[in-house]
Amino acid sequence: MEPTIRAAYENAPKTWIYKLLLAFAAACVLAWSSSTLVINSTSGSGLEVAGNILSGIFHPDTKLLFNFTTSGVAYLLLETLCIAFLGTIVGAVISVPLSFLSASNLMPRPIALLGRFAIAAIRTIPAFIYGLMFIRVTGPGPFAGLLTMSLCSIGMVSKMFIESIEDLDKRILESLDAAGCTTFQKIRYGILPQLFPDFMSTLIYRFDMNLRDATVLGLVGAGGIGAPLIFAMSAYRWNEVGSILLGLVALVLVIEWISAKIRTKLTRG
Amino acid sequence: MIVFDHVSKVYPNGTVGLDDVNLTIQDGEFVAIIGRSGAGKSTLLRSVNRMHDITGGTLTVGGTSVGGLRGKALRQFRRGIGMVFQSFNLVTRTTVIRNVLSARVPEMPFWRVVLGAFRKEDKMTALESLDKVGILDKAYIRADQLSGGQQQRVALARTLAQKPKIILADEPVAALDPVTAKQVMEDFVRINREMGISILLNIHHVELAIEYADRIIGIRAGKIVYDGPSKEVDQQVLDAIYGEAAKEEATA
Amino acid sequence: MKLYDRIFKPRQYTLPGGKTVEEPFTRLPLILLVLLVCTAVSVKVTGFNFTALANNGSKFFDILRSMFPPKTGYLPKIWQPLWDTIKMSILGSFVGAVLAVPFAVLAASNIVANRAVVFVVRLFLSLVRTLPTLVCALIATYIFGLGTMAGTCAIAVFTFAYIGKQLFELIETVDMGPFEAMEALGATRVRAFVTAVFPQVLPTYLSVSLFCLEGNVRYASILGYVGAGGLGLIMNEKIGWREYSSVGMILIVLFVTVVAIEWVSHAVRKRLT
Repeated sequence: MEPTIRAAYENAPKTWIYKLLLAFAAACVLAWSSSTLVINSTSGSGLEVAGNILSGIFHPDTKLLFNFTTSGVAYLLLETLCIAFLGTIVGAVISVPLSFLSASNLMPRPIALLGRFAIAAIRTIPAFIYGLMFIRVTGPGPFAGLLTMSLCSIGMVSKMFIESIEDLDKRILESLDAAGCTTFQKIRYGILPQLFPDFMSTLIYRFDMNLRDATVLGLVGAGGIGAPLIFAMSAYRWNEVGSILLGLVALVLVIEWISAKIRTKLTRG
Repeated sequence: MIVFDHVSKVYPNGTVGLDDVNLTIQDGEFVAIIGRSGAGKSTLLRSVNRMHDITGGTLTVGGTSVGGLRGKALRQFRRGIGMVFQSFNLVTRTTVIRNVLSARVPEMPFWRVVLGAFRKEDKMTALESLDKVGILDKAYIRADQLSGGQQQRVALARTLAQKPKIILADEPVAALDPVTAKQVMEDFVRINREMGISILLNIHHVELAIEYADRIIGIRAGKIVYDGPSKEVDQQVLDAIYGEAAKEEATA
Repeated sequence: MKLYDRIFKPRQYTLPGGKTVEEPFTRLPLILLVLLVCTAVSVKVTGFNFTALANNGSKFFDILRSMFPPKTGYLPKIWQPLWDTIKMSILGSFVGAVLAVPFAVLAASNIVANRAVVFVVRLFLSLVRTLPTLVCALIATYIFGLGTMAGTCAIAVFTFAYIGKQLFELIETVDMGPFEAMEALGATRVRAFVTAVFPQVLPTYLSVSLFCLEGNVRYASILGYVGAGGLGLIMNEKIGWREYSSVGMILIVLFVTVVAIEWVSHAVRKRLT
């Protein structure tokens, strides 16, 4: 017994060398990137600034918060919500054909690759550049924001769509074939019912994300709550920042809660 | 020695798990607990290492009263009792030997646990345990590549690496096919005979229980209705344990 | 939905055998109505205008067109900010991913028995997640000054919140059998977690972290806009000066980098699971 066990002990694969090398490589990469940690604060101590910011945020400007005109938090939030909502829908309309074109189980490989390349290219351009482009078309305002949102949604939405399309269960089509269905009938009763819940779930999730990312639009003046937030921040009006953030955080939490409810209903039926 | 003295267990929702159980199991015995689903087999077994709390009576294992054990003392006590589960409860994503080595975790310094740096003597213990259940050659394979029977053997090796005096087995063969189930039962017999470890298992298959165990305990609605040598289990005893339903099923 | 059933009565079918089946009236009209109202309100609020889009649509490509041909001469000046962006993403992702672990464990209801702890930690994670990254980056620039430090912080906070949520959901769906086995052989909950749960979540955790890193490289370019270093900084500058051909060059470099990182991370992630 003893020699066989000893042999087994000595035959243990030497994975530790590999692991050590991997750990060493990771450590090197981290050390290389740690050169970003430079504090070049110009005005006073950072802690003091942080204190001011915190106290401002925790004493929100209630006048702004409960102002129901078009410059109040409530209207700005509604505008943001609308931008995110329509942006998601327009994005979805563009994403559906794009993702069917890029699904490798439906399309020949070159076309699918081309589709993926297009999606990757669309994703690379940062939101504020789209914002600038659309402002030329529509002028500054929420419409430009909505168009920007829709282009920004395409990347993630079509990626998820492609995954659902590639996960399609083809055995159902076989059984529909066996029942003598036409191509249209197969799509209507074999494919759409499978895709619909996934697509909806993706869109609701994306709506959630768009709402959160909508602040970026403010950078270029493309509507929503981003611009007032960034103006207030660059002017150090932290009470205003506090009230806007309070509204935004509350809205996002509520929407997140609702969207989680709907999505579990979609997946569990 | 395990001694149940008027042990009872009532679940918070009012279900009676154990009802005035009196039982003595000597060191080195091979005992099978049989009974219908929900009769209290699992509760009985799991109260031994206090995976379940009892609500009345006293239960002593090797002279220690189980009911009063808390925290460190409880964990120390559990070290001496192995447990095998129906679903094997292995980390299937790691190698077989790592699963067996996890039995040594409570005795290692914490940094070794976190880094997974096991000492040589622990590895030797693990390999020896694997050898005892006959799967030494599988030591460095991922657990999810083994068959069900082999996985249950890994679980058995894990308990052996713990060097226990008692092994509790909760439906160890329920998830296995009949042939593999027999092989695993034979492993239990061998461990019982060669290493003198007491084995207490609950099991659905009456034939397997009678074939391999020395002593059978029949339980029904939390009460012990039969306790005796496996040779003396006959249809009358089974009727007492399983009720009329068993007969109907047998004839159907 | 009881109310809905009272307004739109379920239809009753009687089978030839005499049994009756109730089919609830479809919810489709309600859902469509809600969607229509939302769309109508959104169109009104955002001033959606098809004719403007059709008339001026070509202007969208103005900037895009002026990006071509990209100014290759600008390339040497891109490397430094590019490395900064990558460094920010790597370090920020690493710090965020590591910090997320203890919080995720505390937020997993199958590991932590105390309901209050779970609730508070989850609330904290949600709050951090709702905080816009841009706001984080701006605040960070006020505290640490303009530069990569601020960007790293913002990325770390974003990664922390994202991975924290993913990880605690992952931990909650783990097979608790091995954990039970570890408790049965006398291990503490902490040790049982490290030996039984951690190996199960580790591959997915690393995979999610890499996925986050991919996204962060892209995100880091936006952060530069508020002065948090990296590619975004020079992009903002060149846009301000309307040197769109340089912007085009930056975008091409960014695209290649993102695709390369995605490719590497995809290969690694495939091996992990």
